[in-house]
Amino acid sequence: MIKKVETIGGQELREMLTAATAWLEKNASDIDALNVFPVPDGDTGTNMLLTMRSCIEEAYRAPDESASAVIKAIADGALMGARGNSGVILSQIWYGIARGLEGKKSFTGGDLANALLEAASTAYKGISNPVEGTILTVIRESAAAAKEQVANGSDDMISVMEATVNAANESVANTPSLLPVLRDAGVVDAGGQGLYTILEGAFRYLRGEAEQMQFRKPQLIVSNMPLTGRSPQMLAADEIPFGYCTEFLLKGKSIDTGKLITKLEKKGQSLIVVGDNNTVRVHVHTLNPGNIINIVTRLGTMHQVSIRNMDEQRQDFLELQKERMPKIDMAIIAVVSGDGLNDVFSSLGATAIVPGGQTMNPSTKDLLQSVESVSSDSIIILPNNKNIVLTAEQVLSLSSKRVKVVSTKTIPQGVAALLAFDYEADFETNTNIMEKAKATVKTIEITRAVRSTKLGDLEINKKQAIGLLDGELLAAGSTPIDVISKMFAGLDLNKAELVTIYYGNDTESTEAEKVSATIREQYPQLQIEIVRGGQPHYDYIISIE
Amino acid sequence: MTVKIITDSLSDITSDIAKDLGITIVPVYVRFGEKVYRDRIEITTDEFYYRLTHDSTWPTTTQPTPYDFAEIYKKIAKESDEMLVITLSNKLSGTYESAVHAKTLVETKCRIEVIDSLTVVMGLGLIVIAAAKAAQSGASLDELIQLVNGAMPRSHAVMCFDTLKYLAKGGRIGKAQGLLGSLLSVNPILTMKNGEVSPLTRVRSRAAGMKYLYDFVTGFPNIEELAVEHATTPDEADDLIGRLSKVFPRERIYRSTVSPVIGTYTGPNVLSVSVLEAI
Repeated sequence: MIKKVETIGGQELREMLTAATAWLEKNASDIDALNVFPVPDGDTGTNMLLTMRSCIEEAYRAPDESASAVIKAIADGALMGARGNSGVILSQIWYGIARGLEGKKSFTGGDLANALLEAASTAYKGISNPVEGTILTVIRESAAAAKEQVANGSDDMISVMEATVNAANESVANTPSLLPVLRDAGVVDAGGQGLYTILEGAFRYLRGEAEQMQFRKPQLIVSNMPLTGRSPQMLAADEIPFGYCTEFLLKGKSIDTGKLITKLEKKGQSLIVVGDNNTVRVHVHTLNPGNIINIVTRLGTMHQVSIRNMDEQRQDFLELQKERMPKIDMAIIAVVSGDGLNDVFSSLGATAIVPGGQTMNPSTKDLLQSVESVSSDSIIILPNNKNIVLTAEQVLSLSSKRVKVVSTKTIPQGVAALLAFDYEADFETNTNIMEKAKATVKTIEITRAVRSTKLGDLEINKKQAIGLLDGELLAAGSTPIDVISKMFAGLDLNKAELVTIYYGNDTESTEAEKVSATIREQYPQLQIEIVRGGQPHYDYIISIE
Repeated sequence: MTVKIITDSLSDITSDIAKDLGITIVPVYVRFGEKVYRDRIEITTDEFYYRLTHDSTWPTTTQPTPYDFAEIYKKIAKESDEMLVITLSNKLSGTYESAVHAKTLVETKCRIEVIDSLTVVMGLGLIVIAAAKAAQSGASLDELIQLVNGAMPRSHAVMCFDTLKYLAKGGRIGKAQGLLGSLLSVNPILTMKNGEVSPLTRVRSRAAGMKYLYDFVTGFPNIEELAVEHATTPDEADDLIGRLSKVFPRERIYRSTVSPVIGTYTGPNVLSVSVLEAI
């Protein structure tokens, strides 16, 4: 049964965010590694974590147990403890949520959606020059999804949070397509990822997963764009020196934040001003921190002052990145179609994917473009289809880069070749290893006959299921299961250990389960894995190794 | 006087070999919740892997304290005037730091040298064994230091994992990060490079993993020392030793188990070979 949560009070809000902070803590250093924007200071995760800790500390000092008192305390905590760009924007978000929940003893999913909208608008207002593809986009799109869920008549807290978290996930994955610096770096936005992790942590807690959360770790969202590998030199190219990252808390009486923004805007970049008229948190990148200090000391007293040299920070960051990055001087480009297979190849380390396959052969130009776009100079292409091998080989003479085609003719051959990649071996050795590896698998492909025909003893009717073994048409039958059984019967399975079934876009997972069960029954010694390939035309692509 | 050789329990040297070659082993700690165990002494390998896979508490590990090393230095200083400490990679554990720090805690005329081996398991074990054999035949401390420095680049440890989840969880994933998140079930094969865990490749079954380990060993034209280790699969270790006995005398292959502290990061079912190349 799906758990329902109608409303949330102050105490539960506190516990939920404590859990979310613990969840973020597990992810903080991974998020640090993502950081490339706006300056590569490499500490977004840590900054957001420290900001959240300050929130939680204050949350326990709330004057009463009402949701509004607790969230107000959290927002104050965020303001006092905000660190870094992302921390300050995060504090804006809490500030907006607090405003949205003002006066509420407890709140519903509907209230939450409204508060998130308020948070998004507050976050945008706090920044003099909002940029899309950042945490701002993530809060805006998540809030919109929450509102939509409520508009569709679902006011339950769990369902609203679920919609919010899912939207945040998609939004984060999409950040590289909005922000070129992320795309070039091959990462998603760190601040956005941090916000997602917090929302996800809160949601998991709400769903009653507090126990499991202790043993799990949040995952980084993977960009929905083909990545081009990470190169620190490339990251740095777009960056101009920012001088000093200057942060402080300004306390005074009736501070006019609007006026303050106007004054400071001329003195630096990446300005963020957050707070009310008594306490304001300022973050700015400036070449002359003295100017800033002169302006603000007239308005009040400065606290928690931090001035850091960003050029130094950048150097440290680049060093850090160099250390963290495995030296990838080889890129692998795979030709694949089907979202599931895309994910399989990406997860196994393909640097770029060129869409294509049966009946959709990519052009030489498509492949050449991909070869030119990856940051590496040595490239291995996996065509994964017999009709694409030749096209791929054309690239060799067209590119000035060192290109080699490992002539994989099926998807399983491509997977085998990709897996065999040896991180210690050089280019030449690797292409040899990969060539060898592709020979270790057998491929069965199940598709439908496009016309009736007779092939040797084989009578084939149009639309009938047919099976190919390594490209050779061997069997036909009324159903895919039928054909697969026939083909397995004809194989020498003495040395086989592992069968991987990639089922296609038009195939139900339940049917794939049946295929697996049938094989398992006949050949109990085989290990079987089912993966959604999502490929067109082929009901099944089966690898036997 | 014979130079005394000291190492930590992550060298996976069995107590029999340690006794034969006069090696002192300092246990690293593994902790389940509140309870701390000395590696292999207060918790057996079998007991550990059972708890690793059945307990709800996740184990953590702790380096030996400088005090632990100091106590051993004091004891050995009574029997010898020179000792050599060889520890696992400093990038995986603070054991090296403890061993170095301990020197300041002991007042002795005995000369103590500490070397970071940059490796672990029998990759470390084989270096230590080579040093201990040389010490027994009378090598001086300076000769031993030279020997160890020369052996380090010739020592290769390769492990076939069932999963990287333990390594990732324990924060020791190093350069093998890129092997995480695979959508197919794979057996990652890792090695030690520059003191860090580094990826070699991936295979799709244990049998393929064993073949990789076999091919890895037989790829060396001259082998000085060879070790095979397992965590929870003794039959596989025996099988591999059987196959390797065609290229290296069976009685000279060290058979050991992956210690609980290392098991915290490898998980059960890990299989490992270590080769010390001959010069």
